[in-house]
Amino acid sequence: MKKNYLTKIGTLLTATALFGATLAGCGSAKTETADLNSTAANIEEGDAAETDTVYRTLDEIKESGTINIGVFSDKSPFGYVDENGEYAGYDVYFAEKIGEDLGVKINYVSTEAANRIEYLQTGKVDIILANFTVTEERAQEVDFALPYMNVALGVVSPSDSVVESLDAVGADDQIIVISGTTAETYLEKNYPDIKLQKYDAYAEAKTAFENGNGVAWANDNTEVIAFSLENEGYTVGIPSLGDADTIAPAVTKGNDTLLTWLNEEIETIGEDNFFHKDYEETLLDTYGADYENTLVVEGGKVQ
Amino acid sequence: MQSLGIDVLFKGTNMIRLLKGLWVSVEISLISVAISIVLGLIAGVLMTSKSKLIRFIFRVYLEIVRIMPQMVLLFIVYFGTTRVFGMNISAELSAIIVFVFWGTAEMGDLVRGSIQSIPKIQYDSAYALGMDKFKVHFLIIFPQTIRRLLPLSINLVTRMVKTTSLVMMIGIVEVLKVAQQIIEANRKASPNAAFGVFAVVFFLYFIVCWPISRLAVKLEKRWA
Amino acid sequence: MDLNVLKSYIPLYNEALLLTVKIGLLGILTAFVIGLSGAAAIYFRIPVIRKILSIYIELFRNTPLLVQLFFIYFALPKLGIRISAELCGVMGLGLIGGAYMIETMRSGLESIAKVQSESALSLGMTEGQVFMNIILPQAFSVSMPGIMANVIFLLKETSVFSTISLMDLMFTAKDLIGMYAKTIECLFLLVIYYLVMLLPVSILGSIIERRVRYAEFGD
Repeated sequence: MKKNYLTKIGTLLTATALFGATLAGCGSAKTETADLNSTAANIEEGDAAETDTVYRTLDEIKESGTINIGVFSDKSPFGYVDENGEYAGYDVYFAEKIGEDLGVKINYVSTEAANRIEYLQTGKVDIILANFTVTEERAQEVDFALPYMNVALGVVSPSDSVVESLDAVGADDQIIVISGTTAETYLEKNYPDIKLQKYDAYAEAKTAFENGNGVAWANDNTEVIAFSLENEGYTVGIPSLGDADTIAPAVTKGNDTLLTWLNEEIETIGEDNFFHKDYEETLLDTYGADYENTLVVEGGKVQ
Repeated sequence: MQSLGIDVLFKGTNMIRLLKGLWVSVEISLISVAISIVLGLIAGVLMTSKSKLIRFIFRVYLEIVRIMPQMVLLFIVYFGTTRVFGMNISAELSAIIVFVFWGTAEMGDLVRGSIQSIPKIQYDSAYALGMDKFKVHFLIIFPQTIRRLLPLSINLVTRMVKTTSLVMMIGIVEVLKVAQQIIEANRKASPNAAFGVFAVVFFLYFIVCWPISRLAVKLEKRWA
Repeated sequence: MDLNVLKSYIPLYNEALLLTVKIGLLGILTAFVIGLSGAAAIYFRIPVIRKILSIYIELFRNTPLLVQLFFIYFALPKLGIRISAELCGVMGLGLIGGAYMIETMRSGLESIAKVQSESALSLGMTEGQVFMNIILPQAFSVSMPGIMANVIFLLKETSVFSTISLMDLMFTAKDLIGMYAKTIECLFLLVIYYLVMLLPVSILGSIIERRVRYAEFGD
């Protein structure tokens, strides 16, 4: 009897070790290949090195007839699904244009903020067009094309107790952020004492904020301004925080053909003021005309 | 019902989308259970094997399934495999792989249990009648096992349907994600949509799972 | 795999483990209390409560915890009922766990032969004494494997807490992946931490199961 259960403990321990070792083995194997890849790429730069890349080149996308674009499906008015089940918003309007000009169908992939890099690095989407702020850290993981929107951080709070300075946030007060956004990284780095309440999805964060679970919600200022305009009783106490950043499409690191095409596309359609049209179609209802020139970046040129 | 936000569901194609989302969940579960039953029968027989090594491997397998949350497995399969092996697996396929991995373990263990519960005398009599090993398993043992397995596999369907609520996390647009999208698109017009929509989602899961689990209970009572 | 990355993440994972265990234990305790009192109510055939309990069991066993949490955390505040994330986690786990525990303990109670309580009653014990001294201890040991299975199930279910902003193990992993994209390291630690949390419970479960069988059959 006793011997039996000792065997079992042994079994379980071995199981653990085995499982861990397998994972560890896989992990290190991966790093090695990655290193090899990068050296290979360094040596024969430009040469069509036949390594098994996760991304699809421009030609491969055209050939397949469909492009996978990662967008938000719960971030109105930038990327959301309307009542007829169609994707819509500022990012999606641009995505539609990309599909049209490439002559391929679009397969929209619904992403969460925290998954965006992952989706590109695993080749699950060709382009991320999900209000992706350009940052140095992210640029090490993915390749950004030219920007198409300006952004900074902002903080919105209920009008009856507006948060106007982050230094004034009480020790027990929580600020709502969305996991994987620039607001999260910024607050973690610059205000480590502020308690953050993190959500995966925009819809959840907003509902929690409406329900009064946090004293304020920190996010892209475009987002929080839109929220205060669309919902009564909320004021943007801190309209601009941190650096002035831009939002740009991103592709998998190293996918140069697609990146070049995207950059050319942004420049070309900029000549017809495409993004102004985009703004008027998708954002005007929310922001009014006042923000048009502050938000829109046309032709990839930040003013 | 304005104040409860259920009206949102009657706008546009919202309700149909919600139901389609539910179907995605049910579809993933049914496919997974079907595959799990087949693989589970094989696994179950292997688990009764005389080889210590095979039994040990299955012990480890069962223990992993028992301990790891399905959500962790989903993340490992969906993101981990691409990282490690460079394979690109779609979210739906990842979900099915994880569910089959789980289902096969449960089925296998049940098959093992019921094979072992069949009295030894039945084997002996069958052999005495001149049947070979293959015939004994297929004609004598499996029919009895399957009768016991059916209620349990029906039960597994409901548990899988419930677990599909997690696949939202790897980007599959199922009923919960659709619910979020609806709430988000209508935040301005009906601020209380969260109540109505989540209440309906709760109810939808219930009306799918409840009849199935009742059926399982009934079969179990009849065949026990 | 980068060892320095692993090292720098460990404190965060420890914190998450602590939170997961804390809420997990409180939830399981709640589930246990609900289970025991519910099973007793059904055993004694208390009329109205029995009906209510069976509706409760069906409702919570046939819907996912994630949806229950969404409902408690995001929908109820619309009616003016606001609950903190921690309490919501404990409640959610307690309610779903309670439904499973009632079922487990009820079948334990029912497995004890009627003749036992009849003989005890005829010896002059009161009904309460019979329940507490004769039925419950036996039923408890019969249900123990089921209870342990429920405990493991509930601890695993904590992985859905991430959706209501609780920084449990799953969320910490997801969050770190989102910020720094060190997927392999994060997933590796995640697996290790779940093993550390659940393996002892699983082993304890098999020990208890063996003990119970021992008690059952004698040796």
